[in-house]
Amino acid sequence: MNLIYATLGLIGLYIYVSFASLLWEGLDRKLVARMQRRVGPPLLQPFYDFLKLVSKESIIPRHAGKIFELAPVFALTVSIALLAYTPFGFAPLFNTKGDVIVFIYLLTLIAFIRVVGAINSGSPYAQIGAQREMIILVSREVPMMLGLFAILWRLSKLGVSKPFSLATFYEHNIWEIGTPLAFMGTIILLLVFLAWLASEIEAGYFNIPEAEQELAEGPMAEYSGRHLALFKLSNALKEFISASLVVAIFFPWGISGLVGLTGTSAIIADLIFHTLKVFAVLFVSMSIFRAVTGRLRITQAVQVFWLRMLPAAIIGVLLIAIDILEVIA
Amino acid sequence: MSALPFLIIIPLLGAFSMPIISLFGEKARSAWAMLVSALTLGVASKVFYDVWSTKQLIVYTLGDTTPLGKGVNFPIRILWEVDLLGALMALIVTFVGFMAIIYSIEYMKHDTGLEKYYTLILVLELGMLGIVITGDMFNFYVFLEIMSIASYALVAFRNDTWEGIEAGIKYMFVGSLASSFILLGIALLYGQYGTLTMSYLAVKIAQNPTLVSKVALGFFIGGLLFKSGAVPVHMWLSDAHPAAPSSISAMLSGLVIKVGGVYALTRIAFSIYATSISIKTVGWIIIFFGCVTLIVGNAMAVIQTDMKRLFAFSSVGQIGYILLGIGIGLTAYGTKVGDIALAGAIYHIINHALMKALLFLVAGAVLHQVGTKNLNELSGLAKKMPLTSFAFLIGAAAIVGLPPLNGFASKWLIYESSALYNPFLAAIAVLGTAFCTAAYIRVLFTFFGRPSEVVENAKEPGKAMIIPMLILILAIIIMGLFPWQISDKIMLPTVDMIKDQLHYVVAVIGGA
Repeated sequence: MNLIYATLGLIGLYIYVSFASLLWEGLDRKLVARMQRRVGPPLLQPFYDFLKLVSKESIIPRHAGKIFELAPVFALTVSIALLAYTPFGFAPLFNTKGDVIVFIYLLTLIAFIRVVGAINSGSPYAQIGAQREMIILVSREVPMMLGLFAILWRLSKLGVSKPFSLATFYEHNIWEIGTPLAFMGTIILLLVFLAWLASEIEAGYFNIPEAEQELAEGPMAEYSGRHLALFKLSNALKEFISASLVVAIFFPWGISGLVGLTGTSAIIADLIFHTLKVFAVLFVSMSIFRAVTGRLRITQAVQVFWLRMLPAAIIGVLLIAIDILEVIA
Repeated sequence: MSALPFLIIIPLLGAFSMPIISLFGEKARSAWAMLVSALTLGVASKVFYDVWSTKQLIVYTLGDTTPLGKGVNFPIRILWEVDLLGALMALIVTFVGFMAIIYSIEYMKHDTGLEKYYTLILVLELGMLGIVITGDMFNFYVFLEIMSIASYALVAFRNDTWEGIEAGIKYMFVGSLASSFILLGIALLYGQYGTLTMSYLAVKIAQNPTLVSKVALGFFIGGLLFKSGAVPVHMWLSDAHPAAPSSISAMLSGLVIKVGGVYALTRIAFSIYATSISIKTVGWIIIFFGCVTLIVGNAMAVIQTDMKRLFAFSSVGQIGYILLGIGIGLTAYGTKVGDIALAGAIYHIINHALMKALLFLVAGAVLHQVGTKNLNELSGLAKKMPLTSFAFLIGAAAIVGLPPLNGFASKWLIYESSALYNPFLAAIAVLGTAFCTAAYIRVLFTFFGRPSEVVENAKEPGKAMIIPMLILILAIIIMGLFPWQISDKIMLPTVDMIKDQLHYVVAVIGGA
């Protein structure tokens, strides 16, 4: 019975997040347009784009293999599976101890499936894009994992029911530690996570693999029609999920407790409030970042990850860990 | 009536009757080989089920009902003693052996002298089965040599190619040296204690742990690390596996290095020496070699351009994990961490046998259909051989340890226990996996790239080669879906039985 409810919940979440994430895409395009004194597309433009792509003919290149056609389906499948492990203002549907690894694994797997699909297309543009995506993939996850594991470890010291689960954030949050050093560490990690989010959704500096002008859409070069539509949808879901992670770590407060809601209405209120927070985080990490910065070269981006973000993450982690390691009195 | 003797009788009969059966033609020959290996698999399943359901050791004495002599209270006969680890190894040996024999029917079609090939492959299986069931040191040595000599001959089976002969000679020279180390160790033990029965030796060594017993252990570890392909002595493996026919590579990499190497090491360390010497030291020695093996094997895999050579180095790397698990199992003997590590190591032996067999069968299919195993030429194979590429994808994902497949749980147990035991070891294990991932992703990208001219006319191999691959894929996926059940129901009881040295001894000597 529980399994049936969880399945229904997953379907509901999938429908909701698809709408919310596509709506955000429209909002983002509108906001960026306003920042550049353009009128911009209508708010629902991504929905029209999606419907148009679905109705168009999909062209399969002669040199493409089976994986080329399957990759969009796999990517969307993995995104939907990931929804079950994502915190949306309430604990994830399938939360267990240690589910953070499943979360990171699935999130990375989406990018990897994109890469394999691109490699299998036979197009040199897609292959170069895929190589770049691979390089960024291995660079960006290290600071994120370091930060995430450190925070979860620190929170598990406060006493939680399921250590190393993403549900932890709704029991204790990182601001509760309270010491000035931990506060500074949290701020540093917040910056790291915002940068990670920007690179995960390939905005601003990190719009490297897709790089329209240089590489003609990179990994997506050969995709068209339905296949492209599925990829666009899974990317939108991934944006929302990545931002949800940042929100859950740093701003996990719900609204239902404040206004005294319980039961289903509390879940809905929290979900909507969470969505607003996700939009706010994406506004910073995506819209503003995209509007005010240009793209880096791949070598510069790798340097940013390993020489800026990773040291910052290490410092942040040491700061939040320092009071429990008992190195200072 | 125990089914145990048939584990040796059937392959022995099959191997020795092969030259006669071959007179009836090609079909009879392959059908006979298949029948014999299928029957052996059946017997092994029965033995495994018997041991697993009763949780009792099976002791079988050759020539009598009791291993003890008349009027004396020590064992004088050759005896076989099968605990859950031995039964599990017998099961995996017969399973992978059966798959390799089905595969050979099509794969070896173009070779000559096949009656010798099938005889040798059955003898190889026989040798491995003997090693896992025996409870006698010299009997162990004999079966080890049966296995080794059969594998020397099989590596050099294609004696019209330069690499077969070269690898065969290399393997034989150093392999004989390693075997003689083991023989020397056995001679030392016999000279000191006057017995060759493993369980009685355990008693004798515990009563009087002399320097000689430690020297003998040193010889055993040296010889068996060679047989398992641990790093300073892994050079034979990276030549032997690429040169052997692929069905043989699958057995060499999946079985021989584990049965003749890590299994024997586990048996000698836990069942003979566990209570008499400082196993912590032995454990750290094994951990050291495990860590070096892990890093060197996986790192060397990254830079290979020959597909089978890459898989061979990857086998070396995976042996590193198993050695690490066994080493921690020894140093943390009797604690929860040690149990988890040992369970992970045993689980990884089984898992790696399945996935490396699959990967070598894939490599064989590619070699058979395209005629090259150079990765630089094999670009875009997925378009022409989708099923084979899919098999590779599953095998590679399993060996890296992706969650829905079987490699995850066994590696997880090893990571978890090494992190709990000493975080530095866990860091080394993760580094090894990073190299392993890089190596397999490279091959994956080659397979899925733009089709090159060489693969233009390639097509899928026939049924006899596809079916073993599909069965192995199925086994990998099913084992991947129930990792913790398998771990709790099979691997942890296995660990309990290995650690229960007293029971191992008492089952033979009978409380005396």
